[in-house]
Amino acid sequence: MDYGIYQDKLTRIVTDIARSHSLWILAYGTGCGAIEVPATMTSRYDAERLGVRGAATPRQADVLMITGYLTVKTLKRVIRVYEQMQDPKYVIGFGSCAVNGGMYWDSYNTIKQLDLYLPVDVYISGCMPRPEAVLEGFAKLQEQIRAGEARGATKYKDNLDYYRGNQKKIIKNWDFPDYNW
Amino acid sequence: MEGILMSILGAIATFLLAFVVGMTYGGIRRKVIARVQNRYGPPIYQNFIDAFKLFSKTTAVHHGAMHLLGPAFLMVSAVVALMIIPVLRDNIWFTNLNFKGDLIFLIYIMTFGPLGMALGAGQTGNPNSAIGVTRGLSQMVGFEIPWVMALVALMIKYNTTSVVDLMNVQNEVGQWLIFQNPFAFVAAILASLGMFRYAPFNIVGAPTELASGPASENGGKFLFTMMSAGSVFAFVKLTLLVDVFFGGASNLIELVIKTFLLYMIPVMYGVVNPRYRTEQAVTYFWGWPLLFGFLAIIYSVYF
Amino acid sequence: MNIIILILILFFLGAIITAFSGKISALVQDILFLIVLVVPAVLFFTGVDMNTESIITFSQAQLTFGMTPLSYYFSLIVMGLAVLAGFYTVGQMNGKKRKGYYYLNYILSIGAMFGILMSKDFISFFIFWEIMTWASYLIVIYNGKNVQKIGIKYFVMSAIGAYAMLMAIVLIHSITGSFLITDLISEYTGMTQGMQLLIPALLLIGFGVKAALMPLHIWAPDAYSNAPMSYTAIFSGALSKMGIYGMVIVFLSLLSKVPEGALIRDIVAWLAAITAAISTLWAIKQDDAKRLLAYSSIGQLGYIIIGVAIGTPMSIIAGLFLAFMHGVFKSALFMVVGAVEKQTGTTDLTEVTGLIRKMPWTFLAALISIIALAGIPPLGGFVGKWMLYESLILSDHFMLVILVFFSSTAAFLYCYKILFGFFLGQEEKEWAHVKEAPAIMIVPMVILSISSIVLGTYPQLILKPINAAMMSFGLPDTYGNLWKESILFNKWGNQIALAPIMYGIMLVFVIVTIFLFFRNRSRTRYVTTKDISTSGEIIKEHENLTFSRGFFQPFLRAVEPVMKRQIDKYMLSFAKGVEDLFEFTRRIYNGNGQTYAIYAMIFLIILLMFGKNLLG
Repeated sequence: MDYGIYQDKLTRIVTDIARSHSLWILAYGTGCGAIEVPATMTSRYDAERLGVRGAATPRQADVLMITGYLTVKTLKRVIRVYEQMQDPKYVIGFGSCAVNGGMYWDSYNTIKQLDLYLPVDVYISGCMPRPEAVLEGFAKLQEQIRAGEARGATKYKDNLDYYRGNQKKIIKNWDFPDYNW
Repeated sequence: MEGILMSILGAIATFLLAFVVGMTYGGIRRKVIARVQNRYGPPIYQNFIDAFKLFSKTTAVHHGAMHLLGPAFLMVSAVVALMIIPVLRDNIWFTNLNFKGDLIFLIYIMTFGPLGMALGAGQTGNPNSAIGVTRGLSQMVGFEIPWVMALVALMIKYNTTSVVDLMNVQNEVGQWLIFQNPFAFVAAILASLGMFRYAPFNIVGAPTELASGPASENGGKFLFTMMSAGSVFAFVKLTLLVDVFFGGASNLIELVIKTFLLYMIPVMYGVVNPRYRTEQAVTYFWGWPLLFGFLAIIYSVYF
Repeated sequence: MNIIILILILFFLGAIITAFSGKISALVQDILFLIVLVVPAVLFFTGVDMNTESIITFSQAQLTFGMTPLSYYFSLIVMGLAVLAGFYTVGQMNGKKRKGYYYLNYILSIGAMFGILMSKDFISFFIFWEIMTWASYLIVIYNGKNVQKIGIKYFVMSAIGAYAMLMAIVLIHSITGSFLITDLISEYTGMTQGMQLLIPALLLIGFGVKAALMPLHIWAPDAYSNAPMSYTAIFSGALSKMGIYGMVIVFLSLLSKVPEGALIRDIVAWLAAITAAISTLWAIKQDDAKRLLAYSSIGQLGYIIIGVAIGTPMSIIAGLFLAFMHGVFKSALFMVVGAVEKQTGTTDLTEVTGLIRKMPWTFLAALISIIALAGIPPLGGFVGKWMLYESLILSDHFMLVILVFFSSTAAFLYCYKILFGFFLGQEEKEWAHVKEAPAIMIVPMVILSISSIVLGTYPQLILKPINAAMMSFGLPDTYGNLWKESILFNKWGNQIALAPIMYGIMLVFVIVTIFLFFRNRSRTRYVTTKDISTSGEIIKEHENLTFSRGFFQPFLRAVEPVMKRQIDKYMLSFAKGVEDLFEFTRRIYNGNGQTYAIYAMIFLIILLMFGKNLLG
């Protein structure tokens, strides 16, 4: 996020509060973790009361949820989706697999460390993390946003070469268009 | 000079009123849906937060001139429709252009925005957008027929095509048109189910099917404009129904109560319904709503 | 010499000279062609006087020419479109073969239309009518494709119309003893009741063929789409209006005089409404832009006929206004399709996509014309639609209102289809080479679309000639009770003020556009239509994501029961039946002498067997 536009600190605070209370998530169901998202959204846990709701396409979304293990093939799509999202945008790594590969720690085609490729703001550990943990993760993200610390998008933009290098190392058939935040 | 200033301020006041009321109703709708689903639900000001967030988001990409103009068309149509509609009875602040247009003009200007939006959605090149648009247009053909029949029934009964005159008629007679021609009201309210595009008629946006359809390539400020125009449109439709069938409103509180009660009809109908297929959503309006439309016209002509 | 005769001579001599000047050079031919179109138009607008009449006498017959306010109004359409489409034609026909043939027929048909409008007697009316039909027929078969099917369809339908008209003319002459149209009008009320219905009915069949009234419309989709687009602009914009012109005369000066006329008027209005509804549905189904617009023309002509047939002052204004507007926007749209065809080589909506950035001016013309066609305020189409609805409601034709509303709402579907199909959607590599059409083709389209904006705000520009035309038929002056400058009224006193609304819309539009368009444009960057959300999949250049096939499939499924019945099929089965009858007759008269001998013998035997009883 380019904070230069909003010089006024008050504006920034208000903006951050609004952003923290309106998280439109793009639940990219990469793995088995996707099964916990409906449970989080529906009546028992009701994430909508925190302002969390599903978005249909990357252009509308704020939060990219990586729910579960990421194969190399899926990583390509995830990066593409992330780059299509509009600033400010946040990434939540969801489940042990996103943290360190989890039970796929020795798999030949699964990503072990997500933040080599995408700037992750919040990790939710567990296999599976229960909806309570997911809500906790959202609360954490909200805190970060309010504190102005959730700057994954800026980080990605600034260190684009680093991320691109890592991505190109693992994705063999590289055919990405330019990143056009 | 004072007159011009007054009319500009009046227009701005009308717009703000419509925006706030429309947005709040949207929030209430989300709350109602949540309560029906046994959830706590978001606060009723949630839509304002969402709108503000969307506005503060960067909008980095566009797909060409029509894509940029699409939301503008939608907004223009919403604002012009709002200016034509009489918001309050005998109130100098909300007069705007009330006497310059009539019901047929309103019907047409309200289709102008969605068509402009459709062009904008078309230029994004997303196949989902185009599919959503074709569904929306098909549905429009469906619900316009009972809607027009209801309005024609009122026009021929009271020899006027103007909304203001219809309001005055109700005041003179001292009875709302909903009691004078109930069939017309039923036809109109059934048509308005399609107009609001809530379930089971939410075939245009259908997030799980079409990835939100025409809106799928629009984020940030585009989506903000669409959202605000949608809220203003909702207010326009509700106010039109109140003006035509419930004798309008003489103050804002009355207006809010009447529109809110009317708004609950499509919301409540939608909350317990799944989604129709497109041809079902079209032919739905050619069944009972059409029959009520015919009854309304017959009632107007012979009684 | 009278200026009308001069213009006619100019047209017909000019047509022949233009046709043969191709031998000298193509450029000379083009210039001559334009001169032959522009000079009569200039002469017409500067010199023609409403009051003069000129008579040419042949040995027996007298041909009378003169102008009435009504024919002045229709001449505006014909002359204006002829010049604009003429310039377009030069651009479109550039490099095509058989230009002389095309130019000859083009000018001949324009001259014939002018002749029809200026004729004051039925002889010259019929002669020019036939010239017009023949010239347009020759242009319809210009492409040489499907001449058998399409040409014959058009020819047979035209012949039916012409014979009906000829019969009417002969009947009129046998009753009144004169060919003058004014004589018919003055003696009409004294005729027997049968004649009072028969003559207008026959004339209406003749005019209905050109105005594509159901069930006489079956030639139109094929003929409109098969002629070169520069002529179809004339065909749909001006030539079909000749049918309307005739209908106006029949309805206003004949059928409104007798009480039985109301029946025919209602029948025609209903036929026109059904035409409008059904042809709109068929237009939605078409995948070829030419055929789509052809069906749309039939539908729009339906509205015009409804307006004219209902016969209240307001509905006639509506019909005549829509006739002008239809000439403006439909010609522009046919020109757009022609430009796309010239640049891409096809008019298939499922193939061409994403031309908006390659042909922006064409898109602009198409957009404005489409908005006018859809009848959306503040453009010209809305004025006509508004008056049509109001007049239908005020004259208690409630079911017609619903039908018209249905068809004009359904018209949005094909409006969107044609804009989306050609200009929006995915930009494919296949069409990356397409360039904007030459300026000589763009300018007429843009002029036409600007005039539909102007007429939306200042309809009085053509409401005045309409009013004059209606007053010449003895209708009351409508200025001040139905319209006043740019304000339209209805009988109940409701009004719609076009100019303030237009300015209001412009103001809001400018504000919102500045706020959104320019702000967003400067802060955003353009990305191609391949950069869309596709669940993360990266689309390759060659991958075609365009959605264009089965565009309105669900809607068409919903209206399927209506579209099962086609007039075409009934006509074909009727033709088949007639053919079978002829076949049967041919079997009897098979040209074989021995068979005839047997017939003679059978006859003799019968005579011998029963002769005694029969004669006895």
